[in-house]
Amino acid sequence: MYLPKSTLPYRVEMYRQLKRKRTFFAYLFVMSLPIIVALAVKFGTTGNSTGPTRFGAGTADLIGLATKGAANFTATIFYFATPFLLIAVVALFNGDTVASEASWSTLRYLLAAPVPRARLLIQKLKVSLTLSAFGILLLALTSFGVGTLAFGTAPLQTPLGVTMVNSVAIQRLAIVAAYLAITLLVVAAIAFYFSVTTDVPLGAVGGAIGIMILSNILDAITGLGSLRNWLPSHYSFSWFDALSSEIDWSQMIRGASYAVILAGILTAISFIRFAKKDVTS
Amino acid sequence: MRAKKRVAPWARARAVLSLLLLSGFSLSTVGSANAATTVTITDQRLNGAGGVTLDTSLYLPTSRPAPAILLAHGFAGDKSSVSAQAKSLAEHGYVVLTWTARGFGKSTGEISMNSPQGEVADVSKLIDYLATRKEVTQQGARDPLVGIAGDSYGGSIALMTAGYDNRIDAVAANITWNNLSHVLFPQNSQDPSFGPYKKFWAGTFFALASLPNAFGGECGTFAPAWCTAFKDAVATGLPTPADEKLMLASSPSTITSKITAPTLLMQGEADSLFPLTESIANAQQIHQAHPNVPLAMIWHSGGHDGGTDESKRLQAATLNWFDKYLLHKKITFPAFQVTDTNGSISLVDSSVIPNLLQSQTLPINPVYSTLPITTPFTALIAPIGGIPGAISSLPGVGSALALAGNIGGVSAAFLPGQSGFLETAPLAHPLSIIGPSKVTLKVSSNKPDATLFFSLVVRTPSGQTKQPNGIVAPVHLTNLASDGSLFTINLPAVVLDAAVGDKLAVAISTTDQGYAMPADGRLYTVTVASPLSFSHPVFTSSKSKSSLYIWPIAALVIVMLSVIAVYIRRPRHNDEPVEPTDALVTVSNLTKVYKDGYKAVDGLCFFVKRGQVLGLLGPNGAGKTTTLRMMMGLIYPTDGEISINGKPIYPGSPTLAELGSFVEGSGFLPHLTGRENLNLYWRSIGRTDDPFFDEAVKITDLGKALDKKVRSYSQGMRQRLAIAQAMLGMPDLLVLDEPTNGLDPQQIKAMREVLKSYAKTGRTVIVSSHLLSEVEQTCSHVVLMHRGKLIAFGTLKKILKMTGKKAGSLEEIFIELIGDDLTIGKES
Repeated sequence: MYLPKSTLPYRVEMYRQLKRKRTFFAYLFVMSLPIIVALAVKFGTTGNSTGPTRFGAGTADLIGLATKGAANFTATIFYFATPFLLIAVVALFNGDTVASEASWSTLRYLLAAPVPRARLLIQKLKVSLTLSAFGILLLALTSFGVGTLAFGTAPLQTPLGVTMVNSVAIQRLAIVAAYLAITLLVVAAIAFYFSVTTDVPLGAVGGAIGIMILSNILDAITGLGSLRNWLPSHYSFSWFDALSSEIDWSQMIRGASYAVILAGILTAISFIRFAKKDVTS
Repeated sequence: MRAKKRVAPWARARAVLSLLLLSGFSLSTVGSANAATTVTITDQRLNGAGGVTLDTSLYLPTSRPAPAILLAHGFAGDKSSVSAQAKSLAEHGYVVLTWTARGFGKSTGEISMNSPQGEVADVSKLIDYLATRKEVTQQGARDPLVGIAGDSYGGSIALMTAGYDNRIDAVAANITWNNLSHVLFPQNSQDPSFGPYKKFWAGTFFALASLPNAFGGECGTFAPAWCTAFKDAVATGLPTPADEKLMLASSPSTITSKITAPTLLMQGEADSLFPLTESIANAQQIHQAHPNVPLAMIWHSGGHDGGTDESKRLQAATLNWFDKYLLHKKITFPAFQVTDTNGSISLVDSSVIPNLLQSQTLPINPVYSTLPITTPFTALIAPIGGIPGAISSLPGVGSALALAGNIGGVSAAFLPGQSGFLETAPLAHPLSIIGPSKVTLKVSSNKPDATLFFSLVVRTPSGQTKQPNGIVAPVHLTNLASDGSLFTINLPAVVLDAAVGDKLAVAISTTDQGYAMPADGRLYTVTVASPLSFSHPVFTSSKSKSSLYIWPIAALVIVMLSVIAVYIRRPRHNDEPVEPTDALVTVSNLTKVYKDGYKAVDGLCFFVKRGQVLGLLGPNGAGKTTTLRMMMGLIYPTDGEISINGKPIYPGSPTLAELGSFVEGSGFLPHLTGRENLNLYWRSIGRTDDPFFDEAVKITDLGKALDKKVRSYSQGMRQRLAIAQAMLGMPDLLVLDEPTNGLDPQQIKAMREVLKSYAKTGRTVIVSSHLLSEVEQTCSHVVLMHRGKLIAFGTLKKILKMTGKKAGSLEEIFIELIGDDLTIGKES
């Protein structure tokens, strides 16, 4: 008996992905960031006697704040991970997922089985999004853990001097992680679109990362004015608002909604393209 | 516009600039010049009061007559300071008159700080002038329709004129004063004495106006009475009764009760010269005298100390105010708007992300909430001569928080020993305070008087002290009893956010470099006598809710549309059974044209019955693989169809489950073993029955290799694993594409047996090959293809007989049938 609805079950697809070294190394990559930053801050030199090294374009002393405690360290790691690391991880999981099947030729055996095409994409997305979400969670947990070991559990302190006790800080960091997860849906959708379009997994991953980097660059060009509001990375740092004494949701609502809109459109295009595609690889 | 809040050097530079121009100078250009509107500008000298002549500019809009706006400049500026705003207002359809106030620029006369006989009388003359212009809408004899606006010194003349001259029809005053003596000698308790002299600001003021004209004497163009008042204040820290009268005459507080024109009051949160309380006083007085006068208030994040530049927004608000009350446009204007800059700061570029709050209630009758203070008392020292002195806020520099960054170090605003904090318990809920606060304290001193500087601050668990905008409330207390006297201290009006765990505190400092200090030292004890009362109005975020809700709604709609689009655009297939035949596979009129126009299969027709081994035969590029891809549901036929058991085959068709396939090489997860691959495959394909695992493995003779990773397999091994995978369900139909490719002769022989034995069980096999001899040895039936077309179809015997010659081999027949045309691939 053949049941279309039991093709490519979530557990099977998850197992297929988890057995891959790629998954392991991606998570290792995620966990290494907080560890490296913690080691660098703890044992590295701060350059000169005029004070701690300053990062970023602004004057916020991020590294100085990072060492305040676990919550601060986690927030700082989120800050460092937002423009690239998380994008890379999400692009990897979602860009590689279908394209790698094509490159192994397993895709045609799944389709011939037959796993209905829409179902194949849904199952693939479920698993790749789960893996992506876990990546963000892992980053948060590792950061908090490493931060606790290295700098203790002092309350969260933002550059403006807002201080939050840990119970509040953890809620806020959870909001930040959730917001990041939603905005990264855009990256996931771009990568997934490439994934169903190409047979080259690295092309799909790299294409998505490339678009996000381009978007970041364009976002830095102030001359573009309000046009920048429509860039997929424009609201990526809006989670700062979750660290104010009272959360200002406006930017985050915009950012999250815009991410869902873009992701929705791109995913629909991916599904339509894949449904009509001649699979020749 | 977002502007830097923290110590960015240019922010400080801008703050200095804004000091120098006392904010009357419009720092930003306004609006965008509409190409269609042209503004005519006429410069002329007009008569003021008392023989003074004023340097003026008249801006005429395209459409006339129009209401007029008198646009006043700030202290030490001139009419050119407001030219950009004037031009913008004219472009929006107003006649705008700007002028240089007496004593400044090219106007004659002496500075008398907006006195009724001086500057106010001048403006009345200007209104007289507007009454003579036909370009200005007139409401009656000598009564033009006219509004007045200005910042700082210009804001004061706007309020004063509106009080003294009832022809003014609308007022917009920004960062200005209510009572000059309260501004310069601030007293924030009920003590009847004058407060400490605000020497730094007053000195800066005086220098700004007197130095450019210093050749005329130390007083510059200041009126002698004002010059004397300044000298008195510097000498004694106190005004004489004459000085006091002078200041009062130049204070809107004396005339606000006469204002009947709709009034927009704007005040800066970063303003230690004219703090927010000045705007509250103006509003209270206007409202008390005429409760029906339309009033609105905006507390923005700018001010004389710098802060964040919101001039664009304020000028837009001013325009709206005049549109509403001069042009009677339907505009809803919130009664009270506040920019809250606390908390939201961009880590990317350190810019402040302000939150705009609004309320329909003016902050003129504050409703107080209370919070107990847990610190019982504090003791402080005032050093002899007031040095070292705390720096809360300095003209042109801004607050101490912006100055020192206040991270980790001692804040310049609170010197050790000279400051104390009366703290509340850590907050259990976030708290926002907008407006004034007060507290009753018992103050004792080793002298009969006390000079103290109070502020409301937030102290964070990490030890930071945040003094909102560096605003302090100075008090000068007299006649202290030896064991102390009770005073109610009016703390500064602020916009403050405190988080959970933060403490609010009444901060007390004995020194402040902005103010004149007693020369002798003091010891103070300050004891708490009441809870902290603070105003806690209800605000809504003025980013209108609907515009925010629209985003999630849009997201939801788009997602739904996306799902619908996927559903609509999905390929549709006819699932109706074709007319029954005894054939297992029917291929009819099958055609495939690839996207690049290459016709790979052209009108192919054949059928396969049960138990047959069909050879699909042809040279490379004949269309065999394309045919099998369509049979596997990988690609869409351009025309024609394939059916199995009378059921159509298309991508995703359930009928595909009845077919096992091996096309174009194997496909396995290289990081898993052969066994895992077979298991996972079976679990992936939605079958409820058990696989014929052992049979498939046995037939393909995989043996021990099954438990090695596929990555390490040889080509032949992979091939056999793939065939085992195709056989796992023992399907009715097995489709194999070049199954013997890459196999050694022994394996090829075994493979033939596999296929034959498979067919013997009543199942059907379709094999494609470009090796004619191969098919000859395996197949019962043959389909000969060339360039996508069927050349011949039938039993092997029939084909072999086809040429009529003596049966040779398929090679010979093939060459006979198609001639020498064996080109591969596309036709040239």
